[in-house]
Amino acid sequence: MNGSDDSTKHLSSPRTAPHWRSIDDLERTPGYADRIAAEFPEGAMEPGRGIDRRGFLGLMGASLALAGTAGCRRPEEHIVPYVSKPEEITLGIAQRYATTMPRGTENLRLLAHSHEGRPTHIEGNALDGATGGAVDPWASASLLGLYDPDRSRTPLSRGVASSSAAFAGEWAGLHAAALAKQGEGLAVLVEPFASPTLFRLATEFRAAFPKALWAVYDPVSDENIQRGIAQVTGRRLMPVYDFSKADVILSLDADFLGTETRHIENARAFTDRRRIRDGKDTMNRLFLVEPTLSQTATMADARYVVPAGAIGVFAAHVAAALGLQGLAPAALPASVRPDAPRAIAAALSAARGRALVLAGRRQPPEVHALVAAMNDVLGAQGATVSYIEIPKSESSDTASLKALVDAMNAGKVQTLVMLGGNPAYHAPADLGFAQALPGVRTAIHASPHADETSALCAWHIPLHHYLESWGDAVGFDGAPGVIQPLIAPLVDGRSMTEMLALLVTGKDVKGYDAVVATWKTLLPAADFDKDFRTVLHDGLLRVPAPAADIVPVNTGAVAVSMSAALKAAAPGKDALEVVFQLSPCVHDGRYANNGWLQEFPDPVTKLTWDNAAVMSRATADAFGFKNHELIRLSLRGRDIGLPVWIMPGQADYCVTVALGYGRAHGRVAGGVGASAYKLRGSGDADFEGGATLARIRGEHRLACVQDHHGLDAEQMAREGVAERLPMIVREGTLEEYRAHPEFAKERVEEPPLRSMWDDITYKTGHQWGMTIDLNACTGCGACTIACQSENNIPIVGREQVLNGREMHWIRIDRYFSGTVENPTVLAQPVGCQHCEMAPCEQVCPVAATTHDEEGLNVMTYNRCVGTRYCSNNCPYKARRFNFFNYTKDMPETVQMAQNPDVTVRFRGVMEKCTYCTQRINLARIAAKREGRPLKDGDIVAACESACPTQAIVFGDINDPASRVSKMKALDRDYALLGELNVRPRTTYLAKLRNPGTDMKSTNLP
Amino acid sequence: MSAIIKQHSASPDAAALVADQPLVTGGLDFGGITEKVSGIVERKTPKAWWLAFSLAASVLLMLVGSIGWLVYEGVGIWGLNNPVGWGWDIVNFVFWVGIGHAGTLISAILFLMRQRWRTAINRFAEAMTIVAVICALMFPAIHVGRIWVLHWFFPVPNQMSMWPNFRSPLLWDFFAVGTYFTVSTIFWYVGLIPDLATLRDRAKTRARQIVFGILSLGWRGGNRQWRHYELVYLMLAGLATPLVLSVHSIVSTDFATSLIPGWHTTIFPPYFVAGAIFSGFGMVMTLALIARKIFKLEDIITIGHLEKMNKVMLVTGSMVGYAYISEFFMAWYSGNIYEAFTFVNRAFGNYAWAYWIMFLCNVVTPQLFWFKKIRTSIPVMFVISIFVNIGMWFERFVIIVTSLARDFLPSSWGYYAPSKWDIMIFIGSFGLFFTLFLLFLRFLPMISMTEIKGVMPEADPHAHGHDGHAAEAAGGEA
Repeated sequence: MNGSDDSTKHLSSPRTAPHWRSIDDLERTPGYADRIAAEFPEGAMEPGRGIDRRGFLGLMGASLALAGTAGCRRPEEHIVPYVSKPEEITLGIAQRYATTMPRGTENLRLLAHSHEGRPTHIEGNALDGATGGAVDPWASASLLGLYDPDRSRTPLSRGVASSSAAFAGEWAGLHAAALAKQGEGLAVLVEPFASPTLFRLATEFRAAFPKALWAVYDPVSDENIQRGIAQVTGRRLMPVYDFSKADVILSLDADFLGTETRHIENARAFTDRRRIRDGKDTMNRLFLVEPTLSQTATMADARYVVPAGAIGVFAAHVAAALGLQGLAPAALPASVRPDAPRAIAAALSAARGRALVLAGRRQPPEVHALVAAMNDVLGAQGATVSYIEIPKSESSDTASLKALVDAMNAGKVQTLVMLGGNPAYHAPADLGFAQALPGVRTAIHASPHADETSALCAWHIPLHHYLESWGDAVGFDGAPGVIQPLIAPLVDGRSMTEMLALLVTGKDVKGYDAVVATWKTLLPAADFDKDFRTVLHDGLLRVPAPAADIVPVNTGAVAVSMSAALKAAAPGKDALEVVFQLSPCVHDGRYANNGWLQEFPDPVTKLTWDNAAVMSRATADAFGFKNHELIRLSLRGRDIGLPVWIMPGQADYCVTVALGYGRAHGRVAGGVGASAYKLRGSGDADFEGGATLARIRGEHRLACVQDHHGLDAEQMAREGVAERLPMIVREGTLEEYRAHPEFAKERVEEPPLRSMWDDITYKTGHQWGMTIDLNACTGCGACTIACQSENNIPIVGREQVLNGREMHWIRIDRYFSGTVENPTVLAQPVGCQHCEMAPCEQVCPVAATTHDEEGLNVMTYNRCVGTRYCSNNCPYKARRFNFFNYTKDMPETVQMAQNPDVTVRFRGVMEKCTYCTQRINLARIAAKREGRPLKDGDIVAACESACPTQAIVFGDINDPASRVSKMKALDRDYALLGELNVRPRTTYLAKLRNPGTDMKSTNLP
Repeated sequence: MSAIIKQHSASPDAAALVADQPLVTGGLDFGGITEKVSGIVERKTPKAWWLAFSLAASVLLMLVGSIGWLVYEGVGIWGLNNPVGWGWDIVNFVFWVGIGHAGTLISAILFLMRQRWRTAINRFAEAMTIVAVICALMFPAIHVGRIWVLHWFFPVPNQMSMWPNFRSPLLWDFFAVGTYFTVSTIFWYVGLIPDLATLRDRAKTRARQIVFGILSLGWRGGNRQWRHYELVYLMLAGLATPLVLSVHSIVSTDFATSLIPGWHTTIFPPYFVAGAIFSGFGMVMTLALIARKIFKLEDIITIGHLEKMNKVMLVTGSMVGYAYISEFFMAWYSGNIYEAFTFVNRAFGNYAWAYWIMFLCNVVTPQLFWFKKIRTSIPVMFVISIFVNIGMWFERFVIIVTSLARDFLPSSWGYYAPSKWDIMIFIGSFGLFFTLFLLFLRFLPMISMTEIKGVMPEADPHAHGHDGHAAEAAGGEA
């Protein structure tokens, strides 16, 4: 699969090729360390700020050597370039290795591309059937995190650069002392994980230090969901949804296609039920109830705007209509039609056994208990939802953090070890973690950056990136997999596995050894080496998913627990509701120093480089606020300053704030936005009422990649947009489609599109084309970041985004239709459309952009003079101009993230989507070498590969059997601005909604 | 000159015409003309000139500095963005090319149409044309992202056998403006030769003798020379005439051949030419009024000349206004929603202010020239000519920027505002213009002595009955 056969070969390759040295050999010789230290002075492995040529070569050499011995992947140190080339490596051809990106209890299986030992691109591992090899922007951009020049390079001991060895020495003493006291005075704070090795080590730790405190905390987690389910089942279980079996879905504030756990898997299964080929196909139906517009709203068939605090009330009304007894909810918010819950309940009941209710992690446990009860009534368990215990995992538990802070305040913690996380920044404000931390005698913090927490600690240990660590991880399907490194560590630190192993044993344990020790228990001893190699190759141990038990649900418990949640007070002008939102860009702040993600437009607000106080038009009007004006948001005596951003579809008097901004450190993250954690308490719900707003003088321009018009635009512009929108994003209902299958093509009345001369017909050879199914696209933006990584697209910074100069080759256009109070949301990815009659080509005075015989609109960077005429004449505005030399100041480490197959563009040059022409050529060469014709699927564009919903299909339109030809043959297919007769090669499939026939205009309040 | 005079003499009304409206007043004879015009470049440099020159040169220096920074840092220093790839750079280009229209128009077309009143202003207007075209040519050169490979525009044989793209209007533009510049310069220089010989003959210093001696190409004013000279001048006039029409037509194809709503219209070539003549006359008027005042040329550039120019402005201004209105009609009549939106957006969108400045300056103010009183009032016409210059600059701004800022896909709509570098380079281009123009005023005869003599009563054989002698007298004065 996917060329990762290569890694199997590596496993069998000799570890010590004749002209290479391996550390293991050398380690046995006396004076080894001294000699190595003399020849490779400290730092030769790390690309420091002022790295010299020798240092860089050293690093590259080490990386090359590492790739050559990919099977074992011990850090090998070589600075000799290939004298004779290892058999497995062809310079210039990327190799792909399976690995896993650990993300709390949720792990994402990946294939990482490596060019000569240098990871350059991240794709999903298609062996994971649930993701199908898709990724999200966080996964794609994690590559840049590896090369982040702001990563700490050495351990810091009380703020002074130290070494890993020095830390190991100090820890040996602490370890011995703690052992003697059975761990009294020792505390550990970890991030949630699901990993056989970490789980084993954690268990060993607790056995060795029975009196030590063990806390698990993640600022954004599924704790509420698990606690809610515990209320009705007695066990902390995690729901796993099977959207492929769900006909009717009610989502209560769950952004399950965007930011909730398993959003990739959800998106794929959900959209599998929306791939309409003809009128006979059926489609699922999504009711979405939420306080703030989420990415999931793109797919909602009916959406209800309800303040976060009233979601429980809404849910109770639906539950009551479903027949759950004992609920006495307060009245519905005025924004919702009173008969809506009953109608939803009817639709759910009608699809009994094929219905699904789910709630977002923001909602308190009581709502999740109610949801479990509703699913029980609907017979969902075992069909559309199952409850599992996440194997080998430790989940976030706020109570454990509270206990830790209490112990710290009581002076009972002398040694605190924090593995990952940044609690001084993100711990609930009311706990006072940052205030308690300096009281701990020896605080040790392992993290990628010397951050807010590290500054308060005695020790900071650089935490290795997953691409340079050994580890393992287990999926929700119960299949364990490995985290294997692709590069020797760039910094002097430890991986998570190594840190925990050091804590337990007091000695340095190699990550690889720790992992193998665990896997010896997972795999049969007889064929361990062979089996483990297979696991390394596949990235996971392929085991059949265990059948989930049917868990009895005590619906009776719900009424009692809900009683408090049912009396939500409606937010008002003097007591607003603050809704905390996991940032689709910087997550909980962990990716804040990642330029790709800072410049990644939020799929809903389209903001980059900032968070904002998102509020409805009516709320802004009530206070007299305008976009960009600075306001002070106060909650329980704590306040932060934020610019205003007005969004449609937002509940009135409800302010949404994204987490993860307002970081103190990092040349990218520092000073961007404001930290919402300063307001966030440790309460059950991730929203809180009683906030106030006040104007601060001044404004802060928010860098939005769209909406230079937006809601503030003149009446005339709004009408102009409304008039053309049905032609641009063609959308209809399922009913309409069944009645008029050609509706999409009929949305525009075209004159006969004729040409004055005989056109080139492009009927021979391969003719590349693309389709984008708008009925599958959720607007998540995975394509944007995958493309950025594949094509070396620079980031330009906030100022330049404000100037309208962002460089993304594929952007997601987001449009609204309907009312400002509750619009429908439409997403449309747009890149270069590779027009056959390309208007850009005709106007270039120097023929820098031309057409090739396979229908590609090719751009010759070297020929480009930079008149920008092509961009002016592009009706899609898909071209991007290098106004400055954006790569001039690119740190050398970041240069390592660049794809060597793609030219880095200089200033003054136009660029745009190439349909991943480098991938086309690689596949062509591979096919030619193998003496076979190119076949459909050989070429996968980067955007296509990343897309969680397979909305993007690329291929040969001259081959009637190709997937893309079949998509283009569907009657939903249309060309964007096709009436201009530019004949774009990218076409779109019209979006369908399924509001049902039982509820006319349900989308309106 | 005799050729012209002969043609005139063929016309029975010529004498009456000349008698009707004296083109030179104040009782100047041939010697007076020579003295008046040559004297300007021979006397000691006036303080006022130094003052004006140092001001213009300082502004030019700012231009040079700004361009230096532009080349060093990139066109990102301008306010351009993704939908708006052309801003003040191309606005200024079209603006200066437009201004560059009046010179050749006055020289060539009016020459062919025997509009003899042109002689007072043609030299002056031609010089303005050349200087304006230099300013114009600067902008396409500096607007590119990589100026160091600008030579790829030239169809020069190279090792890659790579030609420029002849389908691109930018290339047509390059040729059109280049040709216009070349022909205008030659036409201007050929017209200068007899006057340069006059200056040579009057030269008091060795340096002037040598310089003007070389520049006058051995002109002696002989009959053969006059015959050849007039033939060449006539041919060049014939050659330059279509260029006046073609250059701005071609410039308009930069926009008309694109598919952007607001650019993609067939009315552009005539509309641009009318606008160019309009703006050219506006600029000639502004400069002529200043020069007339400073150099006391009221006898040569008479109120009659100015009134005629105002009439041209009235006509071309009305044509431009007609074009504005017909664009709106066509946008509505086409039934194309993108096209219709673009024009409604121009008038009522976020650039409405620019549109209405343009409309007021270009359509409303020239209508005042219907009144003779206004047509002949020097302060009023000065103000109006400034308005025309402003309005025509805004016309280009409106066409280029508003069309790009909001084209097809609303997701990509943007707003363009100039940066300080845009503004400095625009102001700097005036520095370049005035520096070169002041040098012209100082060193070359700003009025064609030869030709003005040809339209004086003394030169008319019918007025005095000395057929054929007047021309010699005119040339032989040297």
